[in-house]
Amino acid sequence: MKRLLFALLCLFSLTARASEPVATTADATEAEGFQPGEMILHHIGDSHEWHWFSLGEDHYTTYLPVLAYRAGHGVSAFSSRELAEGKTYDGLKLEHEHLVSEDGAKVYDFSITKNVASLILSAAVLLLVFTAVARGYAKRGTEAPRGIQSFFEPIIVFVRDEVAKKSIGPKYERYMPYLLTVFFFIWFNNLMGLMPGGANLTGNIAVTMTLAIITLLITLFSSNKNYWAHIFATPGVPKALLPIMIPVELIGVFVKPFSLMVRLFANITAGHIVTLSFIALIFIFRNIGVAPVTLAFGLFIFFLELLVAILQAYIFTLLTAMYIGGAVEEHHDADYQMGGGDGATPAQVH
Amino acid sequence: MASPLKPTDPHDNNSDRLRTVARYSGIGAQMAATIGLSTWAGYWLDKHYATQTPWFTLGLMLLGTFAALYNVIRAVSKGE
Repeated sequence: MKRLLFALLCLFSLTARASEPVATTADATEAEGFQPGEMILHHIGDSHEWHWFSLGEDHYTTYLPVLAYRAGHGVSAFSSRELAEGKTYDGLKLEHEHLVSEDGAKVYDFSITKNVASLILSAAVLLLVFTAVARGYAKRGTEAPRGIQSFFEPIIVFVRDEVAKKSIGPKYERYMPYLLTVFFFIWFNNLMGLMPGGANLTGNIAVTMTLAIITLLITLFSSNKNYWAHIFATPGVPKALLPIMIPVELIGVFVKPFSLMVRLFANITAGHIVTLSFIALIFIFRNIGVAPVTLAFGLFIFFLELLVAILQAYIFTLLTAMYIGGAVEEHHDADYQMGGGDGATPAQVH
Repeated sequence: MASPLKPTDPHDNNSDRLRTVARYSGIGAQMAATIGLSTWAGYWLDKHYATQTPWFTLGLMLLGTFAALYNVIRAVSKGE
């Protein structure tokens, strides 16, 4: 890392004397105490208070409620202001953003953290927007959409026609509520995470895991017998191979939502880290000359993130629809190249 | 547009191209996840049973690689 920074530094200060950059790096990272890694991890992580920005020594922070349960101690509820700067309140304190009890008891933390607050906020925004859209349809019916309704109609129609109908087939209708919800939830939260002061909600693996588990459950509960026949008696596979094929198919069932979880988490978190790294370069170099270059790169990544925000929402929705489509599909097509082509056993596409 | 489903040419417009890109990028991630998850499971089992030779890691890694390849071949040969 040091060497990389040094190389970048040399690149940016070609006109400066050769001995100067070393001193600047040492100054910036040691004397000032600016830790880019710590800043970035703090930004992408969850926290018990919502830190907006700091001007000099003044921190502009919203303190969120802390709710904790300890066996034998009951529920404690107080503002996270009481825990600021390492203070202890009611026998609780924060250690690296984890709520711990002073006496070592297990703490169940149900706090409204930054991510939870952001989730509630985005749920409110989604409700407001889509009740307005739904009101438009209730009022105007099939007439031309107006206002906010006309912005969302093409997107909703896109999800229905390009994602749901093509992936699921004739039974697409009952999965539309979930597909639309997950699409707009991910998209809105990606965008809210990109706003200044926004929380990194879709870059939190617990959130993406919950979404992936819901997808897995919907897939499993809507699966028909073809889906299971494909797993436990893969067509075109000799009986002797089944002990190998069944684990392979079962791995596939669980890997699909797993890759959904990791993809969304990794894409959003990586975007935040890259943007912040470019911004942090200014403070590492402590040189105004670096700012135009890093800001240009940072801005470029930011605009790329705007695209990634909708692209990841689309990919999550599309793959969810495909997994559901694979589970509800009736057999009608030969699974060609994978056996079953002789017509003896009707093969089905997974 | 409540028209009934009709078969479409897979490369007739941009959204279908985007769909194909998303689909195949999904297959790649799934391949990585399959190998990674099964290797991790084997590693965990070896640690848990304190085996002398890491048979679980080896076996599950190979099974994961096989499963990943099998799923990729099946997904791409299925077509759209």
